[in-house]
Parts: sequence; C-alpha cells; structure tokens
Amino acid sequence: MASKASSSASECKSEPPPPQQDGGDGEGNCTPSDVMTIIDSLKKQVFSDRCTYIKKRIEENKQKLSSMTQLVHNLSKVRRNSSDPSSDLDANLLSRRQDDALCTVNSLEQSGGEKDSGSCQEESSYASSTVLIGNNFGGKNGVRLIKLLEVPKLPPYTTWIFLDRNQIMTEDQSVVGRRRIYYDQNCGEALICSDSEDDFVEDEEEKKDFASNEDFLIRMTIEQVGLSDVVLDTLAQNLEKNSVDIKGRFENVLKRENSEECDKNGEAEADVRVEEAFVEKDLEAALDSFDNLFCRRCLVFDCRLHGCSQDLVFPAEKQHPWINSDDGSPCGIHCYRLASKSESTATTNSHMAHEHEEPTHSAASAGAQLSPRKKIKGSVGRRAKSHQSESASSNAKVVSESSESDMRNNQDSTSPQLSSSPSKNKLRGKCGARKKTNKRVAERVLICIKKKQKKMIQSDADSIVSGSLVARDMKLRSDTRNDNKNSSSSMTNKIMKSPTIRNNRKKTVQQLDNMNPKFDEAEHDDICETSKEPSATDGDESERKEEFVDENICKHDKADSKPWKVIEQSLFLKGVEIFGRNSCLIARNLLCGMKTCVEVFQYMNNIQDNSTYRATDGAISLVEGHGKVSELRTRSRFLRRRGRVRRLKYTWKSAGYHSIRKRITERKDQPCRQYNPCGCQSACGKQCRCLLNGTCCEKYCGCPKICKNRFRGCHCAKSQCRSRQCPCFAADRECDPDVCRNCWVGCGDGTLGGPNQRGDNYECRNMKLLLKQRQRVLLGRSDVSGWGAFLKNSVGKHEYLGEYTGELISHREADKRGKIYDRENSSFLFNLNDQFVLDAYRKGDKLKFANHSPDPNCYAKVIMVAGDHRVGIFAKERISAGEELFYDYRYEPDRAPAWARKPESSVSKKDESQPSSGRAKKLA
Amino acid sequence: MAKSGLGCEPAVGSLTASRKREYKVSNRVHEGKRPLYAIAFNFIDARYYDIFATVGGNRVTVYRCLEGGLIAVLQAYVDEEKDESFYTLSWACDIDGTPFLVAGGSNGIIRVINAGTEKIHKSFVGHGDSVNEIRTQALKPSLVVSASKDESVRLWNLHTGICILIFAGAGGHRNEVLSVDFHPSDIYRIASCGMDNTVRIWSMKEFWTYVEKSFTWTDLPSKFPTKYVQFPVFIASVHCNYVDCTRWLGDFVLSKSVDNEIVLWEPKTKEQSPGEGAVDILQKYPVPECDIWFIKFSCDFHYNSAAIGNREGKIFVWELQSSPPGLIARLSHAQCKSPIRQTAMSFDGSTILSCCEDGSIWRWDTVS
Repeated sequence: MASKASSSASECKSEPPPPQQDGGDGEGNCTPSDVMTIIDSLKKQVFSDRCTYIKKRIEENKQKLSSMTQLVHNLSKVRRNSSDPSSDLDANLLSRRQDDALCTVNSLEQSGGEKDSGSCQEESSYASSTVLIGNNFGGKNGVRLIKLLEVPKLPPYTTWIFLDRNQIMTEDQSVVGRRRIYYDQNCGEALICSDSEDDFVEDEEEKKDFASNEDFLIRMTIEQVGLSDVVLDTLAQNLEKNSVDIKGRFENVLKRENSEECDKNGEAEADVRVEEAFVEKDLEAALDSFDNLFCRRCLVFDCRLHGCSQDLVFPAEKQHPWINSDDGSPCGIHCYRLASKSESTATTNSHMAHEHEEPTHSAASAGAQLSPRKKIKGSVGRRAKSHQSESASSNAKVVSESSESDMRNNQDSTSPQLSSSPSKNKLRGKCGARKKTNKRVAERVLICIKKKQKKMIQSDADSIVSGSLVARDMKLRSDTRNDNKNSSSSMTNKIMKSPTIRNNRKKTVQQLDNMNPKFDEAEHDDICETSKEPSATDGDESERKEEFVDENICKHDKADSKPWKVIEQSLFLKGVEIFGRNSCLIARNLLCGMKTCVEVFQYMNNIQDNSTYRATDGAISLVEGHGKVSELRTRSRFLRRRGRVRRLKYTWKSAGYHSIRKRITERKDQPCRQYNPCGCQSACGKQCRCLLNGTCCEKYCGCPKICKNRFRGCHCAKSQCRSRQCPCFAADRECDPDVCRNCWVGCGDGTLGGPNQRGDNYECRNMKLLLKQRQRVLLGRSDVSGWGAFLKNSVGKHEYLGEYTGELISHREADKRGKIYDRENSSFLFNLNDQFVLDAYRKGDKLKFANHSPDPNCYAKVIMVAGDHRVGIFAKERISAGEELFYDYRYEPDRAPAWARKPESSVSKKDESQPSSGRAKKLA
Repeated sequence: MAKSGLGCEPAVGSLTASRKREYKVSNRVHEGKRPLYAIAFNFIDARYYDIFATVGGNRVTVYRCLEGGLIAVLQAYVDEEKDESFYTLSWACDIDGTPFLVAGGSNGIIRVINAGTEKIHKSFVGHGDSVNEIRTQALKPSLVVSASKDESVRLWNLHTGICILIFAGAGGHRNEVLSVDFHPSDIYRIASCGMDNTVRIWSMKEFWTYVEKSFTWTDLPSKFPTKYVQFPVFIASVHCNYVDCTRWLGDFVLSKSVDNEIVLWEPKTKEQSPGEGAVDILQKYPVPECDIWFIKFSCDFHYNSAAIGNREGKIFVWELQSSPPGLIARLSHAQCKSPIRQTAMSFDGSTILSCCEDGSIWRWDTVS
C-alpha cells in the first residue's frame, strides 16, 4: 500500500502529466501518448527494480545488524556478571537507588498510594535521599542534588592545526561561491538565512549526466517504437533533457554495447601498456611526475606552499660539473681503474670488445637478461625522438599485434613472484636499476604488478580446475583466461616447439583432454626450473617475445647484445652534466645496479671515439648519445666563461638596487608584490614577468645571474645586517647565503667546523625566519581577553619572536571569509601582499593568539625570505620572560572593528562584540 | 546535494500510520523551566535498561521507568557553574563495569559522572566551545566521542581521562559539529555531521595503536600524544542545510537536516582513494513540522524503530528496517505543544520518552 502511494508520488514529481490517453492510433506511426505509455511502463519497471533493490539491501543490512546488536546485548549482560561478585551494597549507588525506587513504589502502593503531588522546589529542598514518585500527571519529583564542582572553562577557540610554515589554500577549502547558513545566537532557532550580499548563489546547475537507468529507458523506448522526432521529444520531456542530447546518447549507448566485448580485452591491454611505459620511457618522460610534484624552491615533494605543477623554470646558466678531489682509489670491484690495470694499456677498442662480453657476468643481471627485448623497446623509444609520430604508431602496433604475447609475458613476470623468492630478485633486478634514481617508476611497476596479482587471484578464485602448485595454477589459470579469449590455434604449435611456453599447457589441458601425461610432467619440471632460474626463463621469454616483435617491426640486428637503454643513456648524460667525466661517480650515483663503473667508462670512451672518428660500430644509440654529449660539452664551456664575467661585474652599483630602493619608498603605502620566478633565458627584458610585476628577480628565476633585475644581496660584515644600512634589511628582506656576500651562520658550537668564512668573523643576524630561530611562545589565558601569547624567555629590542603562519588565501577569498569571521568577531586574517592574505583561523601558529594593543610590545613585519613573503613578529622593546605579547593589528582605519579603533583605550580584540562593516584584516 | 536520477529514487515512507503498535501517555514529569536537550536510556549495561537520564540547564537527572507508567528519580546532579547548559549526555561505563554518565554542554567541559558513587569521575577540558553530542562506543564503553562547536570531534578514554584523537584539520568540519555516532560493528569508524551541511565518515584504523595505548597510559593525561585525524574517508553532501543528527544503521547512515525528513543512505566509499565516493539515498522517513535544528531522533536497541519529535510536540515512530518504510505511530497530546528536542526509546521500543523545550518529560507506553 505504502509502496504504491510513494511510487505515484515520485512519478508525478519526475514527469509532466501525461497527455490524454487516446488509445492506440495506428501501428506504424506513434503519437506522443503512445510513446508516453511505453515510457511510463518502462519507468515503472525501473522503479520497481529500484524498490526490489532497496528491499534487498535493507534486508541484507538487517541481517548483519541484528547479529551485531545481539553481540552488544550480550556484552551488556556480561557487564553485570563481571561486576556482580564485587558488588557489596554500597559499591554501586545506582543499583541501590534502582532497588530503592522499587521498594518505595511498593510501599506506596501498600500504604494506599498516598500521593506526593505537592509542589517541589527546584533547589535542594530535599535533603534526604528518599525517592519520590510522581504518577500520572503528578507534580515534580525531587531528590538530593549532588553538586558538580566548578571547573574553569577555556576561552573559546576553534580547533586549529599547527603550521610550521605557510600553506597555500587547497581548492576544496574555498568558501567563495558557497552558500553558508548562519543562525542568530540571540534568536536561537529557526533563523537560517543565506549570505546573499554579493555572491550570486548559483542555482546549482548540475551537469545532467545520463544515468545507466536513463540509458536503459532511452534504448528500450527507441527499440520499441523506433527512432523519430516524436519519440525523442517525448523522451527529452520526460528526462528533462535536450532531444539532441538524447539522440547522441542513444548512439553512444549502441556504440558502447558493441565495444563492450572488446573492452574486456582492452582492459588487460591497458595494464600491459602501463608496464611497458616505463621500459620505453626516456628520462624526461620518467621525470614527468618529478617535475610536477617536486618543488624546486623548497626542495620537497608535494610542497604545501607553492603547490604542484608549478611552472618549470630552467636556469639559463648551468652549474659546472662537480670536480671532486679524486684520490685515485678504485670505487669498487668494477671500477674502471682496476679493469684498465689488469688489461694494461687498454685501447678503446679492447674496451669496447670487453663491453660486449661483460654483460653476462655483470652484477646487474636484469638489464642484460631483458636486453633483447629492451633493445627493441629502446630503439623504438629512440626513434620516438626523431620521428615521434611514426614511432608512436609503431608502438601501438607492438602493443596491439603482440598483445597476446605481451600478456603472457606479464603474467610471467608477476606470477613467479607470488611463489618464489628468487623471482622476487629478478623483479627487483628488473626495476631495481631504475629504482634508485627514479623510485616512482619502480613504484608504478610494483603497483601495476600488484594490480595484476589481484586480478590473478580473482581469476584463480573463479576457475577451480585441477591444481597442483598454487603458483603454477595461478599462472595457468590467468593464462587460460586470456587464451580463451584469444583462442589461437597457433599456441598449441608453439607448445610443441618450445618448452618455454609452458603457460599454455593448462589451456591445452583444458581444451584437449587427451593430453599426454608425459608432456605434463615435462612441463612440471619446466616450472621448477622457472622458479629456480627466473632469469634464464625470462631470457627465454624475451627471446620468444622477440620472435613476435621481430615479425612486426623489429629490423635491428641481434649482434648488439648489450645496448644501453634509453633511460640509461639519459641518466648517463645527466651524470656527465653533474659529475663531469667521472665514471665512478656516475655509475655509483645514477646508474647503480644498471651499469658498472667499467661499463660507464667504456661507454664514455666509446662516445668520445665516435666523436673523433665517427666510427660506425653499428650502434645507432651511441651516435645519438654522442651528439648529445658533445652538445652538452660545448654548452658547459660557454657557461664557464659566462661565470667569470659574473664575478667581474659584481659590484655594489648594479642596476638591481635602484628598483629596490624605489620599491622601498613605494612600499610605504602599497602592499608588497608577490614574486613568481621568471623563466627568461637571457638577461631579463621587457617581457620578463618579474619586471612586469615589479619584483626583483631572485635565485629561483631562470635568468642568468647578470640579470639587471636581480636583487644582489648585501656585503655587510660588521654590522651583521641588523640595520637599514644593510640593503637586504632595508628592503625588508632576509639575507640569503646563496646571494649575499658575507652572510653566514655557524653550525652548533663550532666543533663541527664553521663554513668557509668570507669576510670577517661576524654572523649574519638577518636570517632568523629562514633558520627558524624563533623564541619559545606560550599559549595561555590572556590578561585582557580570551587567549593570549606569552613569551617564555626575555628578549631584547628588535629580537625576532616567531612567525605568524597560516593559510595563504586570495583577497577574494579573504573578503568572503572575513564576513564569516566578523560574525564570530574573531579575525585571524593578515594582509601579506598584493596576491595573498594569511588566514590563521584553522591553521596557524600560537602567535595568532597575540592580542591587539594600540601600545604594543611587538610589531609585525612582512619579510621576503627566499622569494616568499612571510610575517615575522619582532619585539618592539625589551620584553621580559612571561610577558604577554601584543602588537598593533594596524587595521585599515575604515575597516577596523570597534575594539581596534584608535581613540578607544580598549586593548583586546574580543571584548566588544560589534561586528564591523567590511572586513578587518591585520596589516603589517 | 545528491540528486536522485531515474532509477535512483529513494523509497519514501507514507505518513499513514500502520498502528502496528499503539502508544499512550502514561506519565508526565516536569523537571523545571529550562529546556531539556537530551534524554537517553542506558543501553550499555543490561542491569540498567530501565534507567534513563536527562540533561537541561545545569542539571543532570537520573530516573527509572517503573511499571505502570511510574517514573522515579534516582539521582540529580547540578553543575555549580550556573551558566552551564548541558546539551547532550551518554551512558558509558568504566572498564570494571562502573556505570558512567557523560554530559556536555555550552561550556565545552565534558563531565564524567560516576553514577555508582554519585561523584564526579573526571572533567574533560579541551573543547574550545560547546559540546553538541556525546556518544559511547558500545563495544568498548569506556570510549566516547564528542562533537563540538569548535569544529572538532574528539575521542576520549573515560578510564584514563585521555583525549586520544581529534578529528579536525585540513579535511575536517567547517562549522559546528552537531552530531556524531560510532559504527555498530566497525570499531574504527565514526560518522559526524554538522552545520557545514556535510556528513563526514572517519576511520581511526591507522590510529588504533593510540587508542590501545590510552588504556595503559600511566603518565599525566596531558602528556598523551594526542593525534589529529585530518582527513575523513568520506564526505557526503546529502543535505543542503544543517545536519543535526546522524546514526549508523548497520553500514547505512541515517541523518536528518531541517527539511522535515530523516534520510537513509548508503555511503559508497572507495578503498583506494579516500575522500571520494558516492551517496545512494535509499529511503526517506518524512517528519512533518521538523524544520528547526537540534532535534534528534533515537532508536531502540535493535534499531527496529526510531522515534523523533517535532516542533509542535508530536512524535513520529518509524519502522526503520522495512522497505518502504512504515510509520508505526504518530503520537500527540493536547498538552504537549513545545518542541521535542530528543526522544528515547526503551530497549524493546515499548516505552518512548520525550523531552521538551518547556522542561517536561513525557512517557508513552505501548498498549496491548
């Protein structure tokens, strides 16, 4: 009964009243009403399906829940038992009173139900512990009141998170464009209004996506009555959508159904592709996520201050390769020094010959084992550089044409891992090389493998056929799964051909029942072999792979048995960039587990040879690699020269200063400008965004150091950068040891040795924020109002106390939030610069609790620290230990709340609760 | 706001009462002038299934439901702080089974009263503003969670007096938290809701070691390394106004906003990507004239039925676990006119208590 009622209700809601039902007209043509009836019936079907679904779900849930409540019920009974033995009479007053109550009732009943409906006073008029019973509509009851001793309550606050450094607001924290409901504390109830002053409350124009049920409706209707405008219109009307959309959707639905079967295969292929991705990737591609996630300013991943996907700024000047003090001792057993010793006057050629033989014995097993395959991949990748489109298509070809084999290969690489530990090594060998330098890649491999494992476990679960070894089964079953899909007869041939294709055995077992037991046994051995020597089988595997691939695209000769993978080559090039031609360091730091020092050395020489003789050894890769290196070398030479120039031109009177000074004077009434590094590759001109924005170039800019817009830092020594004589200090910047000439700090007590002391023996005192040399601040009950910040130790004048940290939000956001905070009459907003406002409401530092005072003992100052604006709180005078900290919030005069207005003597920020108009933000 | 497309419509209960059970007023107690905000039976200890407590103003009162509609006062506590206004209470017990009564209110101090000794056991200071709801973990009844105006939900150990976890921060509520509830079987899971119109589901699985540690902590409670749980596993936007009451119904969630209905929905969380997920609204239980906030519903021990009062002093008793939902009874009395803030259903649902804004407690019993 109820269901009918509700069903009709919801139908009425979702559709306009159907046009009059004027019976069946013709057969071929359908009137809207016909269509309507069909739609209605379909809708009813959908609806009843839904009802059954809900019913089912609730029934399931009920079963679960009832067992749960039963358990809790038992637990509550146990409580009685456990405490019963120890319960003497006065152990539990609740029990006693419970019994007392019953006794009283009984006695009352005995005494003829004398009523106590007299008036009871609220307060402790009943000193005894007698229990009074009020009966139907009787008066109040009373017992002795038990007093709960007063506990001092805390001043109100909103739970907040401590922030060590500022964070940029994440998108989901924005309140802009969101409706917020307020309630009036005074009216208490029922006052729920939306803040509609400026932000248009969007009428939640939600994207009308097609749900699966709508698809069903569309498809069924069109199938029944055919595709015509009438039908489409009626459907559109019903689904509250555009008829064109409906048509498009219908086509989509059909398309999708056709491709559904392919999808299953596609899914498997997708995984394959993922794995192959890193094999083919060159360094640049592998670094993609590094570029996106790594903050080059803070040198951390997932920087909360500067965010992900920052603009990449590549410095125009490269650093010189690192020249270490080489002690000449070999770096390890594979060091080129040892190799060259043993071979005495080794020529380059012999090196090369050596190189070709080395791989089989080298420690880095995986690279070698996989080499035939890798080689192909590598060459594909390499070609991708020059003929991107072509290789892309050929890649696709590899994937599609040899997908079958690929799949097998995948299973091969994963399934042994499940069972045996040696295979784990194999895996590690395979990706371990890259792991060191690019962990993420390795992780992805692992994830992908894990995914596959899951899948396989699944497939294992649903097909329970004969099984001997678990691992084997798994492998086989997943194989069968794939094989069934692919249904290739050629497979069987291959089984006969080579034992390596043991994977297919199961399938054959399944498909051909008359399988020879002997053969089975043989295969079993084979498996054992596999687990013992995963590398060997893998080699086989890849060889087999090569067969496939060869047929398709590979035209490279097999002679080059040990090529350098693309990623190895690029890592090598990076290494040359960083360490110069030092094979020990390159091998250890970048190619660890991939190539040995000797190999690197040989490769390096080989390239050099090529560059000299243009020798053709058949290795295409080397030629290309050479090209890169030589290019790099010329560039670095060029840079070195530039570097010298820089030193010469470094003078006090560089152009950078003028703009700074100007800005200092300008700054008085203008907020500071947010700095964003420019990517200028030559000296910054009119296009430079720093220049356009009115900021100096900083060390994070791409521009060369001679850039005229750069801030030059200071040369202070004796003054220790504590006065306006220091250009950094004067510009409200902290000194930066990277930029300033003489600014340095000692480490610890100096026992570890100080840094290279340039200039005199004076420590810079203008790096406190950078070095987080803050004072201990305590949070306590303010003498004035609410919470307050107190100083633990006494400090002198102008001493740095700490940083006012918070969420970095835009001004627009701040305006909106300010309105919300004004209602609560507590604001933690702080104007930082032209782009950002600091909000310490939910995230911040204890200093956010420092109260306002027109006669403060501290002051706040926006300081540029390493390209970021930060707010430092400094002592305005000598402050002794335990004093409460105050500073002038310096609200803009017209926006200041009542308690912060000048003529008033009130010092707290919370004592007067008169919301101000507009927004109040602290100013530095 | 989760929109229900075609084929995703919830089953909406009809307001014609099935009268499966009939209730009659059997008693009325007037406690005082101050509004009563919470009333609850003790479901934690089987000995005390017939004992209930109310809070209102600075008072906490313990009663017993006797046969024949009688209500006996057992204990009455009064906070010396006159300004205190208790909003919530929950029954709990110590690890040795001593019955505890936990109450909280506008001062933000959680009072743990030992009902066995009639003394204050502990007072938890920590919340930065009023406490709107306290709930007890039925499987470990010395753990309670509290929802507060300070935008946080906190987990406390009554035995040691430790604040174990704070559910707030980057992914936390963005306005007052009004209600919170423990999952009945998944001990790690809680749901909370509040004035930011969302229901958030949290998991403390990764922090469970701290919960265990809190039981054996011997140092000062303030020295305990309280952890912040900053990210919920799921944020559900089911309502578009204040959500003032939420309860788990098995793996489903019951929640109500000020739009005259209780909604039953299924959170479909994704294990891999916390924070994401979908809401499937299964059923709706209409409650007319229930458009003010801070009205809470209650369920009987087995979650078979729920009772909720409304602005006009009426009570709606819904059959929770039938589909479509059926209204068992609609209770009204000529003299009961003021808003009912909370109800309490006895263990088997045979008794329904309601506490009103005008300070009265009404008792309804089934008639056979």
